[in-house]
Amino acid sequence: MLDNPYHNKTLQWLAYAAVFLLIGIVPLLTDDDFLLNQLATYGVYGLLAVSISLCWGSGGILNLGQGIAFGLGAYGMAMTMQMQSQAPGTIPPFMANNALETLPIFWEPFWNTGLGIALALLVPTLFYLIFGGLMFVARVSGPFFAIMTLAILSALATVFVALQPYTNGVNGISPPTGLVIAGTKIDPYSSTAYWLVFALLLICTFTAKLLTQSRFGLVVRALKDDPERVRFLGYNVAVYETLVYALSGLMAAAAGASFAVLTQYVSPAQFEVGFSISAVIWAAIGGRGSLLWAMLGAFTVQGAQSYAGDAFLNTWILILGFSFILVVRFLPGGFAGLAELLLGRLASLRGGRREEFGQAPAKGAAK
Amino acid sequence: MSWTRRTFLKNSSLAAGALAAPAVWLPTARESWGATLSEGEPIKIGLLFSLTGGLAVPEEDSTLVMQYAIDEINTAGGIAGHPIEPVIVDAKSDFSVYTEKARELILRDKVISIFGCYTSASRKAILPTIMDRDNLLFYPTCYEGAECTQNTVCTGPLANQHSRDLIPFMVENFGKRVFFVGSDYVWPKESNKNAKIWLENAGGELLGEEYVPLGSSEFGPVLAKIRAAKPDFIFSTVVGASDIAFHRQFKQEGFSADDMPIASLTTGEIETKAMGAENGAGHFLSAPYFQGLENETNQKFVEKFLSSPYGKNGVTHYNMEETYTSAYVFKNALEKVIAERGIEEVTPTAIRNACAGIKVGADISPEGEIWVDENNFNTWLVPKIGQCQADGSFKIVKQADAHVEPDPYSIYPDVGTCTAEGLLAPDGTLRTDVI
Amino acid sequence: MANALILGISIASIFLVAAIGLTIIYGTAGVINMAHGEFIMLGAYATYAMQTYFGLPYFLCIPCAFVIVGAIGFVIEKLLIQYLYHRPLDTLLATWGVSLVLIQGTRLTFGSDPKYIQMPGFLSSNIELGGVSLAAFRIFVILAALALIALVWFVFYKTDFGIKVRAVTQNREMAAAFGINSKQVYSFTFAFGAGLAGVAGALFGVLNIVLPTMGTGYVVQAFLIVVTGGGALMGSAIASIATGEMQSIFAMLLNDSFARFLIFILIVVFLRFRPQGLISAGGSRR
Repeated sequence: MLDNPYHNKTLQWLAYAAVFLLIGIVPLLTDDDFLLNQLATYGVYGLLAVSISLCWGSGGILNLGQGIAFGLGAYGMAMTMQMQSQAPGTIPPFMANNALETLPIFWEPFWNTGLGIALALLVPTLFYLIFGGLMFVARVSGPFFAIMTLAILSALATVFVALQPYTNGVNGISPPTGLVIAGTKIDPYSSTAYWLVFALLLICTFTAKLLTQSRFGLVVRALKDDPERVRFLGYNVAVYETLVYALSGLMAAAAGASFAVLTQYVSPAQFEVGFSISAVIWAAIGGRGSLLWAMLGAFTVQGAQSYAGDAFLNTWILILGFSFILVVRFLPGGFAGLAELLLGRLASLRGGRREEFGQAPAKGAAK
Repeated sequence: MSWTRRTFLKNSSLAAGALAAPAVWLPTARESWGATLSEGEPIKIGLLFSLTGGLAVPEEDSTLVMQYAIDEINTAGGIAGHPIEPVIVDAKSDFSVYTEKARELILRDKVISIFGCYTSASRKAILPTIMDRDNLLFYPTCYEGAECTQNTVCTGPLANQHSRDLIPFMVENFGKRVFFVGSDYVWPKESNKNAKIWLENAGGELLGEEYVPLGSSEFGPVLAKIRAAKPDFIFSTVVGASDIAFHRQFKQEGFSADDMPIASLTTGEIETKAMGAENGAGHFLSAPYFQGLENETNQKFVEKFLSSPYGKNGVTHYNMEETYTSAYVFKNALEKVIAERGIEEVTPTAIRNACAGIKVGADISPEGEIWVDENNFNTWLVPKIGQCQADGSFKIVKQADAHVEPDPYSIYPDVGTCTAEGLLAPDGTLRTDVI
Repeated sequence: MANALILGISIASIFLVAAIGLTIIYGTAGVINMAHGEFIMLGAYATYAMQTYFGLPYFLCIPCAFVIVGAIGFVIEKLLIQYLYHRPLDTLLATWGVSLVLIQGTRLTFGSDPKYIQMPGFLSSNIELGGVSLAAFRIFVILAALALIALVWFVFYKTDFGIKVRAVTQNREMAAAFGINSKQVYSFTFAFGAGLAGVAGALFGVLNIVLPTMGTGYVVQAFLIVVTGGGALMGSAIASIATGEMQSIFAMLLNDSFARFLIFILIVVFLRFRPQGLISAGGSRR
């Protein structure tokens, strides 16, 4: 076969399986609390990058405000954990300091752990459905949509800071104990927490992968290349765009909720522009066109941040900035584009014939 | 002296993974995570401040002054003969990095205590980890209180100490009518709640209370409201870059410090330098420390610090001094633990308990003698009021007669009182780890 | 209320000064320049450096900031942006990288402590006219905003360069057929926009604090103005006045945080119904 193995579906699934197997066995190899917790956090970032890749790489919708769903999900989970640590009938200490006497009505559902977690996931998804629906029906797209997500993000940050009695403002919520599910406390430094995040990442990535290969995914990918043509073919473009956007929102919310479990903290910093753009950077460096590579991009950048960040104290941001510029300039497909190119070359060498598709898809991904 | 900057290899996760790999296939029972010390080993502490990003402005100085204090302690023979070895990390002004680094310091480097944080948000971000693993945080700056954990020692003034003398002083000297301006977050609002109590006691009148978003540089609407209200003085809890913008626009809008001085809780020597001395001159600051304090210890401290490599920014600031004294609170408490129990028995919890009532004498502490409260582990100190001069330095105009007691729940008597064991509610229930 | 309206004009002028360079870069070249805030920051540092190291008076520092930041913009365009014109979303990502580099580069050069720019004394006074009062410096910024509008208008409509820019914006191929070097036109447009951001920095450095991170707050706000305005100069001006007045009035009636929130939401609602913005810059930009 002379086709580029990068595009071979069986090989793609094998690659996914291999990577996840590798990630999955880590807790068997080490019992370093810190490492497990750190890798689990990377997993959360990886999930966020997958969610970006789903709506940007597949659907062509660049979303600079993925922190909206991430932050809302994290708040939902932190509120659940906070209420778990409360004796019945009491209110969180910060509320008492802000002159509240009773629990605000929208906090009530969080007494119930199941309901709280459901809200952590559903509220952001619903928000994405409504906001996305409004925007896509009005045919807002491309850079305009990206800027609009920035506006919503900034508005949310302002609200969460301003509603201090209900959210503890800038200081955020730090539940004093970890999440308890079915009577068991999930120690954020344990292999349990690690495997929970791993399972979530696995389910989300494989679902997204299946989805992109489905009929639905085909239409979505066609949107990226030419929405007008898809519209002329009789598809309701707005519905497809809204659905893929909301689905990526659900994944980001799940990532946010896991983040709150792992770090036991959430604050309006999650709504900062810089954080949402970092998520886009992970996906772009890994390769927006590939879910797996986007995830690996998050691992790489965050790993480098943790370990090289202190070694190159003052130059680290310079290195990050420059590498990002170089990737955008020379490798618009990210690592994925590079892998695609190399595998294509390899295949054509083996076949003794010039592979012509080697570079073409990378350009497509550059859109 | 012997402080280590992290290196890539030393902390490589790959290396750690490879070392652990042959040993375990099943997750083993967790050993005790309590950090300990042993004979002949240096005392490891973590310095968790931001060296890059927006928070680096105050926090880089905190790291430098900690390094200075550690050098000083080590040169004088260390703590009971053991040198201190700081592990310096960069929190990058990012709360999730604060959490990550706090975990790394506790779980991997096994530091005995962490010195760190400037904002309350970063403190709240790392406290769950510190409480979970029974470590100890020295929080060396002012904050709002209303927190009662068993893992923090604070050497800065609480809201109840900070403005206690400032408000009556201003009312007495400038008039009863005051306008409150603050950055829109927790500390200013809590400080203002305290200030209102002092204001009422002093017979003052609050004309308005305005908050601007953190980092905002537009004070037009606020100054217009102030112009309309015509207060005798302004009480400001505006912080950081906004504080600079506020003072500059105050002058640009034609207000003058002579007619309507600003009484601030954060506008110190660094801020007046950044805003230009002419914009700071005439305004007031309440703080336990000023660079211009005229006592022998301080003069020596300023001279020695500024001529050391750590004094490159050319200023000593209340925040830096509070950080400096925290190193000596740690030293004195640790010496006590070692003397009582031996070095093998030292744990973060033991150090914390030993901090109760620990004094740092006037021969060491540039602000004068201070001691840690036995119940809530905040610091008894003497708030001072300084007025900014034309050259940007501060002249002390008033100093409290005695040390002021820290009380994190002074304005929330219904919530309870903070004791060493936890927050004691009026109905007798005790709650630990209240954040 | 009269005070609020006048103050609104002042806030609008600040918004417009912050957004005008971005309007040029985005409206003409279609580049989503996330490093715009850092160009503003560089303008402030250029002013600081000129004043401190060369002792230039403040008013002379302003054109210097224009030239210095314009030159930096020119280099960045030549090295990076010119390869990305057909990929507008990628300009957004690449310029974010540029902003990281500029922030850290500035920190390494000047240190992370805040810098101070001195302002001529006569600008720090307050002018009162019939119950309405405004700081002299605010009047100066309003005049500067008007001057910048006039300058941009003049450059775009009265010079050879402007004709070329407009030709390239409307139809790149056709313009090329007439012998216009579109590459060069884009380079100079980008440099011009960067220079205008530099002027903004020279002005804001006096109102505010000079720090490597000072620019990050401006970029989202400036973008919302440019997108609301539609990428045209007049659009940005109208959008600035609308948001400035709203900011001032809401802040007077309620508070600053709420004013900001309301403006963000109103902009989203507005763009929902008019995605092309107030006045579309037109042309076949992409």
